[in-house]
Amino acid sequence: MMNPNILLVPVLLPMAVGLVTFLLPRKDRWVRGILALLTAAVAFAAAVWIFVGKGGEFRFPLFEIGRFALAFDLQPTPLSSFILLFAVGFALLAALYSLVYMAGRNRYREYYALFLFALGGTAGVLLADHLLVFLIFWEVVTASLYFLITTGGVESKAGATKTFAVLGGADGCLLLGIGILWFMTRSFSISTLKVPVVSALPALAFILMMVGAITKAGSMPFHSWIPAASEGAPASVMALLPASLDKLLGIYLLTLLATRIFVLGAGLGLLLMIIGTVTIVAAVMVAMVQHDLPRLLAYHAVSQVGYMLLGIGTLNPVGIAGGVFHMLNNSIYKNCLFLCAGAVEKKTGTTDLAALGGLARIMPLTFAGSLVSALAISGVPPFNGFVSKWLVYQGVLETGRATSFIFLVAAMFGSALTLASFIKVIYSVFLGTKSEASAKVKKEVGFAMALPIVVLALLSLAFGIAYRFPLARFIYPGIGVQAAPAGVWDSTWATGLIVLGLAVGLLLYVLGRYRRSARVVAPFTGGEELEARTGRVIGTHFYDTIRELPLLKGIYAGQEKGRLDPFTWIGGLGLGITGFLRRIHNGLLSWYLSWSVAGIVILLVLFIFLKD
Amino acid sequence: MDVARYLFAFLIFPGFVFTGVVGLLSTWVDRKVTARVQWRVGPPLLQPIYDFVKLLGKETLIPSTASRAVFMAAPVAGLAAVTLVSTILWLANLTGLSFVGDLIVVVYLLVVPSLAIMIGGMASGNPLASTGASREMKLILSYELPFLICLATVILKNGFSLRLAELAEPGRVAPIASISGSVAAVITLLCVQAKLGFTPFDVAEAETEIMSGPYIEYSGVSLGVFKLTQAMMLFALPVFLITVFLGGIHLSGWGILWAILKYVAILVLIIVIKNTNPRVRIDQAVSFFWVYLAPMAVGAFVLAVLGRVLGIPWL
Repeated sequence: MMNPNILLVPVLLPMAVGLVTFLLPRKDRWVRGILALLTAAVAFAAAVWIFVGKGGEFRFPLFEIGRFALAFDLQPTPLSSFILLFAVGFALLAALYSLVYMAGRNRYREYYALFLFALGGTAGVLLADHLLVFLIFWEVVTASLYFLITTGGVESKAGATKTFAVLGGADGCLLLGIGILWFMTRSFSISTLKVPVVSALPALAFILMMVGAITKAGSMPFHSWIPAASEGAPASVMALLPASLDKLLGIYLLTLLATRIFVLGAGLGLLLMIIGTVTIVAAVMVAMVQHDLPRLLAYHAVSQVGYMLLGIGTLNPVGIAGGVFHMLNNSIYKNCLFLCAGAVEKKTGTTDLAALGGLARIMPLTFAGSLVSALAISGVPPFNGFVSKWLVYQGVLETGRATSFIFLVAAMFGSALTLASFIKVIYSVFLGTKSEASAKVKKEVGFAMALPIVVLALLSLAFGIAYRFPLARFIYPGIGVQAAPAGVWDSTWATGLIVLGLAVGLLLYVLGRYRRSARVVAPFTGGEELEARTGRVIGTHFYDTIRELPLLKGIYAGQEKGRLDPFTWIGGLGLGITGFLRRIHNGLLSWYLSWSVAGIVILLVLFIFLKD
Repeated sequence: MDVARYLFAFLIFPGFVFTGVVGLLSTWVDRKVTARVQWRVGPPLLQPIYDFVKLLGKETLIPSTASRAVFMAAPVAGLAAVTLVSTILWLANLTGLSFVGDLIVVVYLLVVPSLAIMIGGMASGNPLASTGASREMKLILSYELPFLICLATVILKNGFSLRLAELAEPGRVAPIASISGSVAAVITLLCVQAKLGFTPFDVAEAETEIMSGPYIEYSGVSLGVFKLTQAMMLFALPVFLITVFLGGIHLSGWGILWAILKYVAILVLIIVIKNTNPRVRIDQAVSFFWVYLAPMAVGAFVLAVLGRVLGIPWL
């Protein structure tokens, strides 16, 4: 019999409320928003409860045929419970943000319902202890994401379709992998599986399931759905799903695969590291030359996954801790960046980098949030991105191979490229001179939109300075490391000294005549007239020099035409096949008859020769 | 008493005061040597310090287009970062006080002063400053690649260690005493040249073209802080080179003379390069670092791997 259990709350409550919001009358916008907010808050309370270890476990056998058992089993682990805590926390912030952000947009009815479905699905994935239950909730998240993207309006359709196609394909791989796993072990129980990868079959199962995981996380080569989705999807959807929940889920599955379900050899670890490194550098090179803010952020969402794969691929505790911590950090700052992009879009009506500029003075909170997150994603100390990247580097070196230097240099160079990309964003959106679009903006976004941005930015800073807390409380228990791995940099005094350095600089200001005499003057341009339009240096041209380099020019051109995207290749293959089939369906009876006869002949041949 | 020790280290020696004073004196060396190259007499020893103090007393001008808080805060961030870098480097050299991976911390912190210049310049709202800032970023991208490969070479030669104190340990064979190490050292020196924004890589400032780029709107104290930061970089970066490639600094007996000799040699080398080369364009700088230096650095790295595999320490 079903015992009421706290584990059910974050899973079933959002789904139930989601159903209810579908049925509510169309007009009551605030009711839906507040309902979603309250649901997320209750789910968050439950997640806290589960995190502190009060969850216990929940088992509900559904049916059993031979050794094939389906059971609605939920069991939190240290890893899943901390991820759940953050996932629901992010949803709570996103719900608050959506209250204002979604106002004035269409289709908020579906939006809130699907939002809650996605939340419930995520909680289900994280708590599931049965691979099929896991898969079902995994699909719930995929499907909700598809519909959530379509709430962005007409221009989001193509992106949504692509997202569904890519994720659906990857989920198919995951299903196949689970099938192989069952074939080998006759078990679906996540907590008891432990398969050493010693032959081709478990390796195949791992790779298939890994494809499912890294596609969800958005790693190359199956990354292209994120930029496609970013084109039309609402910013809150991008912030919640591709930037946060999908990362958490994908990397959660990958960590499960690498540390629990399979026992990996160094070869598959190396494969992960290679995928990771290529993803870091290639995605950020593409991101650097983007002109559209959400699209640029989307490519960074791809690039950052590389660090996580690199860390987990090292298969040593420091590296895995770094990878998982980077997952957490990334979902914090990337979430914040998308929310900032949404705030800018809400205020100016555009996300084109060339049409923005000079918003820092009017939107100080959004600017501060963006700046902190941009520095964090670029790995500038003392923000959180630095700590996790630093752990990843440490893990990479600990593998002790000369090849690890290739990964190290590429990953560190990737973070310089990330910085470059965000310098462009910060300049184009917030600094420089005002554009026409930004001149219209009169004041900062309201409380409901600013609060999530501020909370996330503060979290980025806090996890950078007091990184020992999240590591000791969330990451190390999550991956089952007892003591802190050697080699954590002492950022507490370093940060203290940075603050002291800032104080010294400010002291110089006080000593100098700044307080007494700061005069505002017109900018000096060597006597040239500064016209509103021609006087602006557009940030999107920043890296044209690099784009025009001999070898890179060809690669960039190919990338823009989609030649480097497996989606295009497989799509082309699919079109070829359907084209062929279409030609067969020409309406002539004689053709159909001959096809039928041919089919019967083939079937007969098969039956005759394969009767054993 | 740790707190007091750190405070002293950061504020007085080897941190802010020491680095600041020696840095400013180093800019005197720069100006003096430059003057001699150009057949001038050059300034007196204390001129850089006079200049700095004078800037502190000057009026601060803020352009009407600027994002004021960012514009004024940027110089301070750069100053804090370079002070911390210098403190970490010196403590690792002198006391062996070091933590795992401090090399990575230093590499990341060394970007912060450039970052401060870029953000500050962009915040001014001046189009020339924006142009300069975008060039600065491209310059960072270009030198960072060979720079990182060279560091990888050193880390490899050092047995996968990321600790500065181990690199600078007395009695250890310095990386420069091998072919790969010396090639890496030369390449890193050129990267340092670019980090300092010295000719031929002064594209971001380019006084004769975009009027000092990101610095164009700075005046008074904020300009003074930037100048001080640059001076401190002129001290900290050669010390970084010495720590990583030349066996570090040991202030005992002959070590003092050695340390000064190493520092002055690097300083003069940088200044001579600065004075004998014309400015390159930004695209030339990018291809110089990516097309020429990066493959050379890879070559040095491969040599180091070979040396390690074959057991030949001088390779």
